[in-house]
Amino acid sequence: MILGARAVSKAFFGNPVLRDVSIELLPGRIHALLGENGAGKSTLINLLSGTLAPDRGALVTDGRSVPALSPRDARRLGIAVVQQELSLAPHLSIAENIGLGVAPRRFGLVDYRRLATLVAEVSAQVGLTEPPHTPVGKLPLGRRQVVEIAKALARRPRVLILDEPTSSLAAPDVSMLLALVQRLRAQGVAILYISHRLNEIFGFCEHVTVLKDGTVTADRPLAGLDPLGLVRLMVGRDPQDLFPAYRSTASEEVVLQADEFRTVGAAGVDVTLRRGEILGIGGLVGHGQEAFLLGLGGAVPARAARFQIRTAEHVRTAPFASVAQANAAGIAYIPADRKKEGLLLPHPIAFNLLLPSFAHDRMRRRRRAQERTITQALAQRFGIRGDLLRPVQALSGGNQQKVALAKWMPLAPAILLLNDPTRGVDVDTKREIYLALRAMAAEGKAVVLLSTDTPELVHLCDRVMVFHNGRVATTLAHSDATEEAIVAAALGLPEHASMTEAAA
Amino acid sequence: MSTSAIRPLYWPIQWRRNEGLGALYIVLGAFVVLYVALFPGILAPGAVNKFVQGWFPTAMVAVAETIVMLTGGIDLAVGPMVSLGSVVAASTMQTPLGVFGAVLAVMALGAGTGTIVGAFVAIARYPAIIVTLAMSFIIRGTALLILPRPGGFVAPAFSDFLAGNHPTTIVLVLVLVMLWKLYQATPLGVGLIAVGDNAEGAYRSGVGVVSARMFAYAVSGVLQAMTGLYVAAQTGSGDPLIGEPLTLSAIAAAVLGGVSFLGGQGTLRGALAGSLLMSILINVMFFMDLPLVAQYVVQGLIIVITVALPRLRGARSHTA
Repeated sequence: MILGARAVSKAFFGNPVLRDVSIELLPGRIHALLGENGAGKSTLINLLSGTLAPDRGALVTDGRSVPALSPRDARRLGIAVVQQELSLAPHLSIAENIGLGVAPRRFGLVDYRRLATLVAEVSAQVGLTEPPHTPVGKLPLGRRQVVEIAKALARRPRVLILDEPTSSLAAPDVSMLLALVQRLRAQGVAILYISHRLNEIFGFCEHVTVLKDGTVTADRPLAGLDPLGLVRLMVGRDPQDLFPAYRSTASEEVVLQADEFRTVGAAGVDVTLRRGEILGIGGLVGHGQEAFLLGLGGAVPARAARFQIRTAEHVRTAPFASVAQANAAGIAYIPADRKKEGLLLPHPIAFNLLLPSFAHDRMRRRRRAQERTITQALAQRFGIRGDLLRPVQALSGGNQQKVALAKWMPLAPAILLLNDPTRGVDVDTKREIYLALRAMAAEGKAVVLLSTDTPELVHLCDRVMVFHNGRVATTLAHSDATEEAIVAAALGLPEHASMTEAAA
Repeated sequence: MSTSAIRPLYWPIQWRRNEGLGALYIVLGAFVVLYVALFPGILAPGAVNKFVQGWFPTAMVAVAETIVMLTGGIDLAVGPMVSLGSVVAASTMQTPLGVFGAVLAVMALGAGTGTIVGAFVAIARYPAIIVTLAMSFIIRGTALLILPRPGGFVAPAFSDFLAGNHPTTIVLVLVLVMLWKLYQATPLGVGLIAVGDNAEGAYRSGVGVVSARMFAYAVSGVLQAMTGLYVAAQTGSGDPLIGEPLTLSAIAAAVLGGVSFLGGQGTLRGALAGSLLMSILINVMFFMDLPLVAQYVVQGLIIVITVALPRLRGARSHTA
């Protein structure tokens, strides 16, 4: 074994991300790492490449066991990572980026002559034809990914970790990469390959490790597995009674209808939203779901062939030009990043709860008594306990999320857009949030729930729209919305209907 | 691939980094033409030398500020540091240390102060704006403690050598350019831009993020303190407040020269051109007998216009 992890665990702020995970990378083997969003893949890569240290467990390099690696150790051991979030400096040239941290030196200076030779060599291997003095920021995203690959090669890797390398590559570069990976395997490089594209996994990987909720559900040769089997290993959770019993409160009354809705990152979306309905939005991160939600909420420019909002008080026929307009029309957007976008952390809970209400006419002047009535009612309804004058950052993540949600209630929104409301939230609070969402739907609000947690889509939602590559891959009714069907559609597998039958 | 196909790399890289300064060069060129048209006497050899001597302190502090801004930081203590440099120079030169000792003391002062600031920013991770704001008070106070009012001693021969009728300052500009090119060719110089551009990526790539930042602040400190030495030579004395206007001039010149507040973007050429534009502007307005207040307004307008020009052009090409 050239590099491995032995029973490593890692938690962030008390949330376990990896639990007793072991993995072994062997020379000349292409090892696939699979898992849903948030399963712990990125954390595992960061442990193996020395950017994070495990809380427990050990890393193994060339048979030696160490508690953690530093980026320097990783470089010395020949561990190179092709990052998904690019590690490039846009104002430096292609050559300097490739040589960053490993450039040949002469008399303490960067030896640009030898650097040029090195760059020419790795550029030829990856088909990088741009002049090496070009600033990386001038390249399109796909070409930057090619530079990223060249940069990893310049480190003469014995272990190469590729984190979704093909997600931003153009088709010819994808075949270049696949050929390159095969060549490196032949040279005895150990390769860890992370991808959501199952055809690539089955194309050339030999061994697979599947992560689910931070634990390993499979560590075995790929032979004998089919795509459906892999999907099942990624999702098959134990049934939990985390979710309230499903009971639809959807009416026939349409509150929002859009045809050919488009925004930056999503296009051709047809959507109908009914009173009392919870509409789920699923898909892999970055496939247009968030853009769609932001477009509906007026936060990014959007267009639609036909657009209609018809709530009790508002009729509107064009997408919103601003968040304030959307709020005024009874639409509230609850962002995923509550610490940055949803709350003013150093300010009191009560102040955060009142913030959206200040835009209302009757609140133009501060009236303490009225404010107290509002905040106390909200705190009681959402179970926010303790002194409301404490700064909101004193609350746990889950209770912060309740504040971020509760603050919109005084505006009585007819449509709620929620972006991953249970991210980083503990189980008990999750259940409270689920109950609150169901209660709001029962009141007649329409709820759009974007979630990276597939079971939420399965158990809470009346319908689920699954995005793939900026478009709606499929819309599933509650009865068809199994985890397998959602994940399969998110991965772009064509026939979800037959999959659900096979999975049943 | 044969080695004959390998092209030289360093100079094309440096050249490409200066793309986007076109608007600045056009404005600068226009002002040079205006200046020469108004005062043809500037073209006499002695006059050019005097002009360069007047410009040199602004150029030095602009470069010092650029280095710090490249890391994504900022230095608000530039002016006080120049003052302290002049004060230390003027109070050490008459001691047995002599001129040579004074130069060494000033350099050590700059490097030491810069390293302390760098440690606070790079290791303790305090925001540069707060650290350097605090430093500006400490340094100003120290300068006033050492020399409460202008005075001290600067060797006349030293003054004559730097700021007399010899082209020493022009040589110093060339030395500055060459030292910069040397800095840029070191791993620390590449790290300087990488750290400001993408600190996380640089760390993951094995760049010494802390050392790159600390070295940048130390180099910047030396340049600032040496500016004080130069100013002391020019005026023939130490002055605890002489550098005050230079803090904002340095930032303004760097911004004019295309140096980004976000880090990673900026060049020596830009800083020099920016500071040159500021100097010419002040001279032109001075010779035109504009009141001081009007000079400030015009300076501000020129900064806004020069910074806005490329953005406006960029915005149009995006929508097109």
